[in-house]
Amino acid sequence: MWGTEWPRWEVIKQDTERSLPQMVGSVHAADPEHALLLARHVFVRRPSAYALFVAPAEAFFHVTQEALKDPKALEVPEGEEEAYWVFAKRSHRRSMVYGDLVGRFLAKSPGEAVKEALLQTQGVAFWAVPERVILGTEPKAEVIESWFAPAKDKTYRLQSYYGLITAKEVEDA
Amino acid sequence: MLDPYLKEALVGKLTALADDEVVLAQRLSEWVAHAPILEEDIAIANLAQDELGHAKLYLELRQELDGSDPDQVVFLRDPLDYGNAVLVELPRGNWAFTMVRQYLFDAYEGLWLREAASSRYAPLAEVAARILKEERFHLKHSSLWVERLALGTEESHRRAQEALDLLFPYARQLFRPLEGEEALVEAGFVPDLKALEGPYLEEVGSFLKGVGLRVPEGGYVPKSRKEHTEHLWSLLAEMQSVARWDREAKAW
Repeated sequence: MWGTEWPRWEVIKQDTERSLPQMVGSVHAADPEHALLLARHVFVRRPSAYALFVAPAEAFFHVTQEALKDPKALEVPEGEEEAYWVFAKRSHRRSMVYGDLVGRFLAKSPGEAVKEALLQTQGVAFWAVPERVILGTEPKAEVIESWFAPAKDKTYRLQSYYGLITAKEVEDA
Repeated sequence: MLDPYLKEALVGKLTALADDEVVLAQRLSEWVAHAPILEEDIAIANLAQDELGHAKLYLELRQELDGSDPDQVVFLRDPLDYGNAVLVELPRGNWAFTMVRQYLFDAYEGLWLREAASSRYAPLAEVAARILKEERFHLKHSSLWVERLALGTEESHRRAQEALDLLFPYARQLFRPLEGEEALVEAGFVPDLKALEGPYLEEVGSFLKGVGLRVPEGGYVPKSRKEHTEHLWSLLAEMQSVARWDREAKAW
């Protein structure tokens, strides 16, 4: 923790049972359970989702396509072999491009995990995080019902839907 | 067709349920732009909006019965006609006060809704089941906070205990039935509050003790929902100001 700020947690959201989890942004929170709860408030108020995960931002190893030109970019200290989740951001084209989950890889370091992922996909940036630091919502009907289902009945519109109220519209109202 | 006596009692009950939600939502919304951290600011605005949504559901049920307009009921009714419990009208206080109150209310609502979801008045059963989903998440949020405040620092513990000491007797008002509510209970329309108080004290008591808080005994429990503190007047004055100022307002 630094200063008086709570630590930052990356938020990973899975929209439906079949879709891939995506890194969608982050929240500040006191601990993992708190982070998960806030992630629901901040990222799944609308539209609905199927599952949410959080992991401490500092636990993520990240590397850009540009940095990968350096052959040593993925050489990081090795530890015990464990499972990593690797995410790839595939383009810069749109304003909201999330990191998609490429897969789960067993590796001795996050660098090695990214190397594995690179055999399957391309991208402009990559993240790897050890599975053991990820906390997710339980895939139980009760959790899905109370955390995510209520959003389904609510109107969801993109921000651009809302026009400005002008003096003329007030006149016409 | 409903017996006119039952109908009147049901209108009163639905209004009291909505009043709790409206007044609590207003108190929660006072935190917007003042919460301890941006994420909690967003969260509390969500909670406030959910509570308002619940009020709307209850008032739409009332509308089906007596044709009253929910907006009129909320924005143009005088404080003396509001039937909310004192618990929800007390000023928002500090964060601990707000979270302890929210916990005490959410725990009550969870128990009540679980029973109400099998109401013999089908429209209420349906609405209760819908609200219950959202309330389970609310309870998760408020209990998480009470736990962290109680087990956090000496100061956070002190504030949580102080809030609990003040609020607990008011929470018990939630279990005092309205006039005429017995008929609704008899008809199987609403849960028997008296039967819910025991399980509530047990559930809330064991949670609070579990996080090291002392459950207060005694204290003044308001006897009727006609009793209010002066705080309700200023709350409604602010909440209703725009509607009263311009009843035809169509855009803002």
